[in-house]
Parts: sequence; C-alpha cells; structure tokens
Amino acid sequence: MKHAIIGATALTLLATGTMAQEVTLGRFFGDCEGAGTDTKASVGEACIIQSIINAADATLEGVSVNTLPTDWGNYYDQIKAAYAGGTPPGVHVMHRHRVPEFASIGALADLTDDLEAAGIDPSDWEAAALEAVTYNDRIIGVPMDFHANLWHVNLDLMEAAGLVENGAPVLPSSPEEFLEHARAVKEATGQDYLAADFAQFPIGVRVVLALLWQQGANIFDGDTATIDTPEARNAISAITQLFDAGLADPQLNYADSQQAFLNGEAAVLVNGTWVVDFYSAEAAKDDEGLNRYFVADFPTLFDEGATWADSHMWAIPAPLKANAPDTYAAALQVLAFINDHNIDWARTGHMAVRTSVLNSAEYAALPHRDEYTGTADIARDTPPSVRYGAIQDVLNRELQAIWLTGKSVDAALADAQADVQDLLDR
Amino acid sequence: MPRQQGAGFALSQRQAAVILLVPFLTVYAVFLIYPFFKGVWISLHDWNLMAVAFNPDAKSYVGLRNYERVMWGHNITWGALASPGFQIIGLIGILASALLYRAGRAGKVTALAMGLAALLLFVLPGFHPGEGGRWYDRRFWPTVGNTILFVGLAVPGVTITAMLLAAALDGETRAKAVLRTLFFLSQVLSVTVVTLIWQIMFSPRQGLIANLTELFGGSPIVWLTAEGFAMAAIVIATIWWSLGIAMILFLAGIQDISKDLYEAGALDNATGAKAFWYITLPNLKRTITVVVVLQIILHFQVFGQSHLMTGGGPNDTTQVLVRYIYQTAFRDSELGRASAMAVFLFVIMGGFSILQFVLGREKDE
Repeated sequence: MKHAIIGATALTLLATGTMAQEVTLGRFFGDCEGAGTDTKASVGEACIIQSIINAADATLEGVSVNTLPTDWGNYYDQIKAAYAGGTPPGVHVMHRHRVPEFASIGALADLTDDLEAAGIDPSDWEAAALEAVTYNDRIIGVPMDFHANLWHVNLDLMEAAGLVENGAPVLPSSPEEFLEHARAVKEATGQDYLAADFAQFPIGVRVVLALLWQQGANIFDGDTATIDTPEARNAISAITQLFDAGLADPQLNYADSQQAFLNGEAAVLVNGTWVVDFYSAEAAKDDEGLNRYFVADFPTLFDEGATWADSHMWAIPAPLKANAPDTYAAALQVLAFINDHNIDWARTGHMAVRTSVLNSAEYAALPHRDEYTGTADIARDTPPSVRYGAIQDVLNRELQAIWLTGKSVDAALADAQADVQDLLDR
Repeated sequence: MPRQQGAGFALSQRQAAVILLVPFLTVYAVFLIYPFFKGVWISLHDWNLMAVAFNPDAKSYVGLRNYERVMWGHNITWGALASPGFQIIGLIGILASALLYRAGRAGKVTALAMGLAALLLFVLPGFHPGEGGRWYDRRFWPTVGNTILFVGLAVPGVTITAMLLAAALDGETRAKAVLRTLFFLSQVLSVTVVTLIWQIMFSPRQGLIANLTELFGGSPIVWLTAEGFAMAAIVIATIWWSLGIAMILFLAGIQDISKDLYEAGALDNATGAKAFWYITLPNLKRTITVVVVLQIILHFQVFGQSHLMTGGGPNDTTQVLVRYIYQTAFRDSELGRASAMAVFLFVIMGGFSILQFVLGREKDE
C-alpha cells in the first residue's frame, strides 16, 4: 500500500512537471467553431484570431492556450468582474480606448523590459501603435492593429448614378453634395445611398464624431463637455438630412444594415476595417446583391479629414506578473506568437502595426488594400478617459433618440451635454 | 421490534432541530445574509469596482451620499399634481380602498396595504425639480418608471393568458396534455435563447411577424427600435417566456375546485364561459393573489430582455432598474452607487413580499 501511494505521488509529480503551462485567454471578436490552425486560410475576424490562437497552442512548446468563453457585448464587464474577483485571464485583448481605465489603477503588467527577451521588437511597431500601448512611458500591451470606419461601396449602384470615375467612386466633399449623391442614387436605382448601424452599436456615433472632428471640434476638452455646439448640429444635420429625405434608414441595426448592403440595397455601408475580407468574399460569390465591391476612405464633408479609429491590443494582468512568473513567461510567448502573425490578422482588413509588415509585398497584395491607404492619416478618437464606455453610451442614446424617436436636436444635445458633464465631474 | 437508542446520543427535539437547521442556516448566512449586509455597507461608500480590488483602501465612507446622488436632486419640490397621471390613480386608489373596506369587500389588512400603495403612488411622483433645479441623476426615476410600466404590463399579461390557457387545457385528453407540455416548454429556456428567438421574430427583414404583416399588405414594424413598440416587444417576449409556472399554478388551482360545483352550476345552465366566470374565477382568488405577487417580485428584476433585445433603447424607453444597476456597477465601476440602487430595489420587492405574506395569512372574508 505504502509503495502504491509513493508510486502514485511520484507519477503525479512527473506528470505535472511535464505538463504544459496553461495560459487562459480572454477575447471578443465572436465565436468560430473549427477554426483550425491554418492562419492563412481562415476568413473573418473570429476565425482568423482563433486560428492564430489554435496555432499558438499547437506550436508553442510547453504552453497550452485556453480561450475562455466571453460575450462580445458584455466583454469589458466580464473582464472587469474577473479582475475584481482576482481571476483575470492570463492574456486578454482590449481596445486602446480602455487603457486609461485599466492602467490608471495598475491592473496591467508593465511589459517594457520583458518584450525583447520574449522575441517582440517594439522598434518594429509604428509610432502610433507604440503610443497606443504606452501609459506613463511604460509599455503595457502588445498592439495588434489599427482599425477605423471606412466607406464600403457597391460600385454597380454608384455607376448607375454616374458616381464612378476611373474605376473609383466619387465621394461627396460637402454635406450638400452628400445629399445630391444620395438623391442621384435613389433616382437611378431606387436604392438607399447610405446604410449603417444607426440603431444598435455606436457606429452612428462614430459617423457623427468624424463629422465633428472634421470641423475641428470634439465632445469634451479636459473636464468640460463641449457637445451642445453649432458644430455638433452641423454634423447631425448632415446625417439626418438623408433620413428626412428617405435616402437612408436609421432603423437598421448592425446585422440588418450589413445585410442591406450585401443584398445590393444600399450604395454605401459605413462599417469598420474588420469586414473587408468578409465583404470581398461575399462580393466574389456568383449571386444577386453586391458584386463590384470597393473600399474608400471616410470622405471629408467639412474642413479636414477625420474618421473614427481605435486599436486592438493584448495585455497581461499585473497580478500574473507579480505572482506567477512561469505563467507570465508563457503568456509573453503567446503575445510574441500573435505579434509574429500580424500579417495574418491584417487579412481581416485591419491595418497592421508592424513597419516590416506594412512594407511587405504580402501586405500590399491583400484585397482592396490600396483603396484605403489614406485612412491611417485621418484616424482619430475622442480624448482618453476612464469613462469612455459610459460617454459612448450617452452619445449613442441621445443620437438614436434624435433619429429613432424624433427627440429634438436641441433637447438631445442639451441632455448629452449634461450627462457627459456629470460623468466627467464624478 | 424494540427501539434502539444510541446510549448517550439521545437528542432533545430542540437539539435535533438545531443540528438539522445548521447546514441550511450556514449556507443562508454565507450566501444571502452576509452579501446583503455587505451590499448595504458598500452602498455607504465611494467604491470603485476595480480600484478596490487592487487597493482595498481605495474606498471612502460617504454616508448616504450615494442615495442622495441617485434619488435626489438640486432644488426638489413637491406638488399635488406634478405628474397628474400617477397621482390621480393614487388618489383613486386611496378612495377605492376606503370604500371597499367600508362596504366590507376588503379585509382590514388588504385595505390598509392597498391604501398604503396608493398613498405612495400619490406622494412619490409629486416630487419634481423646482425652478432652476435638477435631479442629480436624471435617468434614475424614469428608469424606475419604465420598470413599473414593464411590471404593470407583464404581470396582467402573464396572469390573464396563463389563467385562460389553464382553463382551456384542464382535462384528461392527450391533446391537452401535449399542449400543456408545449406551453410549459418556453419556461425552461434561458433568457438568452428566449431573446434570440424573439429578436428573430421581431426582425423587420426576416421575422415571422414582419412577414405576416407584409402578407396582409402592411409595412413591417421595426419593433425593437420604434419608441412605441420596444416596450411592448419585450413584454410580449416575457409573457411567452414566463407563462409556464403561472399556468401550472392555475391548473393546480382549477383541479382543486370541487367538480360538484360545476355539476350544480350545469343544472342552472352555467357552462363554458359562464361557469368560468361564476365558478372557476371566484375559486381561484387565492391562486391569483399568489401568481400576481410572485410575478410582481419576479418582473421587477427584469434584466435580460431589456439588455439583450433593445439595449435599454430607443431613448431609454426600455431601460430598467436592474440593467441600470448592472451598468453602474460593471460598466462605470461605481459599486457604491449601484448598491444604493439595489437597496432601493430591495425595498420595493421587500414591500411586495410583505404584502404577499399578509394576504396569504388573511382569512377568507
């Protein structure tokens, strides 16, 4: 009996000794069943990222990666609750805009001195990417992309309205032209000019923000909300004039607006870089709806170019670095693997963060890549704030109230101004 | 067979009771009593969810300030007809409970409970910001209003539908048994599945309802983003979802009614709808009370339907209390403020629980 116990203990110890270091991973982007490990074959954000993670799990020796089940819509709530409960994932994805919220309380591990040893070269990152993952001069994450709002264009509908020149769509350069183009498409094709999710996720907010930035304005400055302004009215009326004239439908949500575009019921869809490969694949199918697909930079309707943009990045929780050095080392290996596959992630349509990838022939050969090269120069976001999420929700609620419930612009802007000020004051 | 007793292990009834209760009381104390008081304690602090996790000293005691910030405002006054709708209903309620008591139609406690609820309905909506004043949190009371509206629509909806279904499906035939199972099935689904099903049903592009509307020549309603329909949409989904339990309770109630009553009724020509009205309904009084109070307590906690189907929109028309608490705690990390709202919700639900207790104990008049 004694021998059996000793034998079993020895076996257990041996087994744990050779067992791989498990790294739990939290991410959004949605689910992908059967993503496989071929990082060159998967399509769409969910499947491409999962194939990279699966490949890391299969390739990295002594490391196993376990993707946790998370829900996109409640991702940050889940992650924050996990941090508060002392069980954050070993590595997790996040947006640049969340850095102040997490880094200001010391939640994210300082990676600055450990990157090179893990095989990650920060000098290969674009300056803007390095800036995205830097907080108080320390690197607290590994950047994965720049993403931004684009104009996804159905060239057939645009051509029917006479809005194609030299194979590229003619884009509006003023709110008036915006309306003219919309009318031309309606008259020529009977279809809407513009579609976007104006009813669910904050894509409508991002459109209005871009038009606000194009006038040199912003929603807050330091601790002062600056929403109830003439610039905001200009930005909003540029959009609502289309709704009022029946040239765009504000009631479509994300899925419905995307479907409208793919069905050929809208000439332009405002959505992010993340769907370029998906729409290319859909356009290539031999069916009704979208056939000739083009990607354009967000047009400048006012004085200066601007489009909403953000970055995805990967971070490691500070407690992991402090308390579990082995898991921390394994987590860094996972981040290095993701960093090495920046080109594969860029296949989604996102812009790469590594200079060597941006300059590669493989990157230039990605579909439609040459059509939105101007986007990197006009990428913008609201000022950093620990209350980014709540502020976006205020804007989304009040802007939707304007076009979905007929709330007056004056009342909506006054309420948004008061609510954002209240958030900034807390 | 002689009774055997372990010598020295004889327990008195009291000791046995204590030992048997200990496991339950331990679980109850650890998972319910302690978290409840901790919640109240958190509500008295400025408590950031993440910051306190990393530094336990990052909280500070603020007394009742969270309650003030959530429920009160700057320069708040009271007017007898500030929101006439609620207040007139409140006044009518006070009068009605007095009259019912005088006429002997309602017991003392019932009349008192009704009167108290009506009084609250008259007093509370009377508070409003005076000149130059404003609520510190302008969304809290409208959110409470939305929650009450939801409860006001869902509870009668569930109760009436479940009662009619129970009356129709009471019987021994195979078809009725199958239908009973079918109607109960929706109850076992999780809120995510229910909301997914109904999001598809309500979709203006692919939904069953939109297709039916188009079949009859109408243009489809965009249920979930239209101001007048969003609340109706989540109420409909909720009724479909929570019919099952209420229906089973009503079935049990109906099966308790003596068949003699129906036979006697039939002799007097009371069958079908008449029998339902004059025999079934009066005999279900107790069951109706239980169902209504349970549903009220349940539906005050509505969250998933609003969170997943409408996101509280459009323009906050479907924003409900638990969703607001959730957002305040997890999106905004303001645990203290969220706990203050949760304590408020507890008081409302506690009130209805006491009401149920009182009504359940009251003897049939």
